[in-house]
Amino acid sequence: MSTKNQTASFGAKLGRLARDNSVPIMFILICAVCIPLAGFSGGYLLNEIITRMGRNTFLILSLLIPIMAGMGLNFGMTLGAMAGEIALILTADWQIWGIPGVVLSMILSIPLSVGLGLLCGKILNMAKGREMVTSYIVSYFINGVYQLVVLYMMGSIIPIAHSSIKLPRGYGIRNTVSLLNMRQCIDNLWAIRVGGVKIPVLTFLIIALLCLVILWFRKTKLGQDMRAVGQDMNVARDAGVDVERTRIISIVISTVLAGFGMILYLQNMGNISTYSSHSQIGMFCIAALLVGGASVDKASIGNVFLGVSLFHLMFIVAPAAGAKITGDSMIGEYFRVFVSYGVITVALVMYETKKRRAKASLGRQLELEQKGADK
Amino acid sequence: MNKSRKWLFRAGALLLLILVALLMLWIGRGHTVYFDNKTIEHQGVEYKPPYKVVVRVNGEQVAKLNARERGMATWIGQNFKMELEVTWEKKGEAVVRSFTQKLPYNMDGIVLNLPALLNDFPEEVYLSEFVPVATEAEEVEEEIITSEFELSDL
Amino acid sequence: MSENVWTSKSLSDRLRGAVASFGLPRLIIAGFLLLLFIMAPFVGVNFFTQITNTLNRFSWNAVMVLAMVPMVHSGCGLNFGLPLGIVSGLLGATMSIEFGFTGAMSFVMAIVLATPFAVVLGLGYGWLLNRIKGGEMMIATYVGFSAVAFMCILWLLLPFKSPNMVWGLAGKGLRTTISLEGYYDKVLANFLQVRIGDLVIPGGTILFFALLAFAMWAFLHTKTGTAMTAVGSNPTFARASGINIDKIRILSVVMSTWLAAVGILVYQQGFGFVQLYMAPFYMALPAVSAILIGGATVNKASITNVVIGTFLFQGIVTMTPTVMNSMIHMDMSEVIRIIVSNGMILYALTRKSEAIR
Repeated sequence: MSTKNQTASFGAKLGRLARDNSVPIMFILICAVCIPLAGFSGGYLLNEIITRMGRNTFLILSLLIPIMAGMGLNFGMTLGAMAGEIALILTADWQIWGIPGVVLSMILSIPLSVGLGLLCGKILNMAKGREMVTSYIVSYFINGVYQLVVLYMMGSIIPIAHSSIKLPRGYGIRNTVSLLNMRQCIDNLWAIRVGGVKIPVLTFLIIALLCLVILWFRKTKLGQDMRAVGQDMNVARDAGVDVERTRIISIVISTVLAGFGMILYLQNMGNISTYSSHSQIGMFCIAALLVGGASVDKASIGNVFLGVSLFHLMFIVAPAAGAKITGDSMIGEYFRVFVSYGVITVALVMYETKKRRAKASLGRQLELEQKGADK
Repeated sequence: MNKSRKWLFRAGALLLLILVALLMLWIGRGHTVYFDNKTIEHQGVEYKPPYKVVVRVNGEQVAKLNARERGMATWIGQNFKMELEVTWEKKGEAVVRSFTQKLPYNMDGIVLNLPALLNDFPEEVYLSEFVPVATEAEEVEEEIITSEFELSDL
Repeated sequence: MSENVWTSKSLSDRLRGAVASFGLPRLIIAGFLLLLFIMAPFVGVNFFTQITNTLNRFSWNAVMVLAMVPMVHSGCGLNFGLPLGIVSGLLGATMSIEFGFTGAMSFVMAIVLATPFAVVLGLGYGWLLNRIKGGEMMIATYVGFSAVAFMCILWLLLPFKSPNMVWGLAGKGLRTTISLEGYYDKVLANFLQVRIGDLVIPGGTILFFALLAFAMWAFLHTKTGTAMTAVGSNPTFARASGINIDKIRILSVVMSTWLAAVGILVYQQGFGFVQLYMAPFYMALPAVSAILIGGATVNKASITNVVIGTFLFQGIVTMTPTVMNSMIHMDMSEVIRIIVSNGMILYALTRKSEAIR
C-alpha cells in the first residue's frame, strides 16, 4: 500500500517536473531531431557551443538581478549593450589595442551604463506592473538616441579621427567597425585545446567570477532587500526597504553588466555592426535564458548555462536541418527566429496564467475566510 | 563618520577606475610599424639598402625584406623592440642587431628606414609618420542600414 | 485689484490644467509639426506638395490606427499584436492575386479572403488574451512577432504559383515585395481624386477610411459598443450589470485584427506593393504611437484621436526629411521618427493614473 502510494507520488512528481521544465524538454526534443539531420560532427558542435557559451553567457547573466527584484525580463539590457558599443567605438578610434583596450572600454562603458540604467530604472518605477513592455519600449527609444549620437554626433561633436571608422561624409560611424586589434584577445589568452576543441579559459574564469559575485550578492543586505521587493513591494516597504531605490539599483547593475557582456561578446566577434549588433541581443539573451527553464519571476545560474547551450545548439543545427529537409536554407533561419519568439511568448503566457491562478486561489481563500468569520 | 567613510570609499573607487583607465590609455596604445628597406639620402649622400634584412619582433619573424621592400608589424605600447638580422651582400655574413625605439604616442603608423637606422642617423632621418593614401573608391558613400531587424548570427 | 490677481491665477491654473490634460509631449509634437509647416515655404519646400504627401500617407495608415480603437475600449490595451492582423491581410492579398482577380475586384476579394483568417486568428488571439489579463501588451507584442516569423516560413512553403509573385528562378516561394500594378495599385486613391493646383487629395481612400471610422463610431454607440466601453473603463461594474466580459473582449480583438487586415490592404493600394516576410514586424509601433499622439491613453481612445494622431504622426514623418534636408543637409528623419514614436509610447505607459488598473 505504502509502496503504491510512493510510486503514485513519484509519478506525480515526475509529471510536475516535466511540466515545470516543459520548455527545456521541448528544446531537447527539437535538438534531438535536428542534430542527426544537420549532420555535423560532434567535435564541431562542441567547439561551436563552447565558443558561443564564452561569448554569450556574461550577457545572459546580466538578466538575473532584475528578475530577483521582481522586475521581470529586462529588455532594457540593450541599453548596456549600446553603452558598451559606444565605448568600443571610442577605444577603437583611440587605437587602444588588446586587453588594455577591452579594460578601457569596460571602464568607459560604466558611466554610460549607469546613466542609462538610472533613466531606465526611473521610468520603470513610473510603470509598475508593466515593467517588461516598458523596458522593451525604452530599448527602442534609447536606440533612437543611440543612432542620434553615433550617426550624427560622432565625428561632428565627438571627435573621431580615423576614416576607417568614420563615414566619408565626415560624421557618423560606418556600418561595421573593425575590432581586429582586440579580436579574441581575452579568449586567446590562456586558451587551451582539448582534442581540437578550443577552451577560452580566461573568458570562463571571468564568467565564473561573475557567477560567484551574483551568488554572494544574493546574501548581502542589498540582495536580500531586492528579493523582498521581488516578493511583495508593499511588504518590503513596510519593512523599511526603499523600494524605488532598490529597483533602480537592480536595473543599474543589470545595465552595467550588460555593457561588460557586450564588450566581451564583441571582442569575440571581432567587429561591431554599429546599427544592428545590439538590436537583437536582448531578445536572444532572454530567449536563451527562458530555454534554460527560467521564468519571468525565477531564474538561476543553472538556467543560464543550460539555456545557452540548448539555445545555441538549436541555433547551429536548425538552418542546416531545415536545408536538408526542404532544400532551402532560409527556412531554418526563419525557423530559429520563430522558435526564439515562440519561446518567449510561451514563457510569458505561462507566467501570466500562473499569476492569475495564484491570484484567483488567494481570492477564494479570502472569501472562505470571510464566510468563516461571518458564521 | 560611517557616512563619510562610505563617500571616501566611493571616491577612492572612482579614482582607482580613472587611474586604471589612464594606465590602459598609456600601455594599450597600438602602433603599426613599417620597415622600409630603401635607399635614403642624408646630407647629400645616398645610402644603399642591405641585400636582405630579417625583422624579428618578440622573437617572431615578422618580415624578410630584400632591397626596396617594405614590411610591417604591430606593437602595443611605446617601447618598441626589434631584432634585425642584416645581410649586406649576397651570400654575405648575417649580422644581428637589436634596436629599442620610442614610438611617438600620437602616430598610428610609423615608418622606419632601415638603412638610416643601421647607419645610426638621428631619429628625424629614419623615423617618419605613415600617412595612408585615400583611394578613390573610399569616397563612395555607404548606405547606412539601421533596420531594427536582421537575421544575424550570434 | 485682488480680483484681478485671482482671475490671472485661475487663468494660469487653467492653462496648466489644459496642458496637463492635453499632455506635454503631444503639445511639443503638435508645435514641432506647426514649426515644420511654417518653415516649409522659407526653405524652399512646396507647401502644397507637402500637404499632399501628408494626406497621402494619412490615407494609407489611418485604418491601421483605427484598428487600435476596439481593443483599447475593451481594456485589452494597445494592440501591439497588430502584425497578426496584418498577416491575415497579407494572406488575403496574395490569395486574391493567386486566384487571378485583377483591378478593383482584386481589392474587394483581398478583403473577403482575408476576413476568415482575421476572424479565426482574432478568435484564438482573443482567447489567449483572456487567459492573461493584465499582461496583454507584452504578450501581444510577442504573439505578433511569432506570427510574422511563422508566416516567413509559410511564404516560402505555400504552393503559390502566380509568376507575378514567386521568385522567377526557383519558381516557388514568394518574393519579398510584390508589385500591385494591374491589381489594386491606387485603386482607392484614384477614385474620387480631388485636384486643386498642387494639392491632390486621395478622396477615395479618405472616404473609405471615413466609412470605416463612421461604422466604428456607430458601433460604439450600440448596446454592444457601450458594453465594450464599460468592460474597458469599469470591469467590476460591467460584470455586475451582467456583461460577459470575456466574450466582449474576444469580439474587440476580432474587430481589431480584421481592421488591421483591411488596414494593410489599404496601405498596400496606396504604396503599390505587397511587402512580405519581415516587413510587418515593426508596423505595430507607428500605429500605436500615432493613436497616442492623437490623445488616446492606454484605456481610452476615440475616432478623433485616430484622425488627429495619424495626421500629426504622418505629418512629422513626411515633413521632417524634406524640411530638415533643405535646412541643414542632414536627413535625421529616421532618428526623429524613432525617438518621437517610442517616446510617445513611453509617456503613455508611465502615466500614473493608468498604471493602476
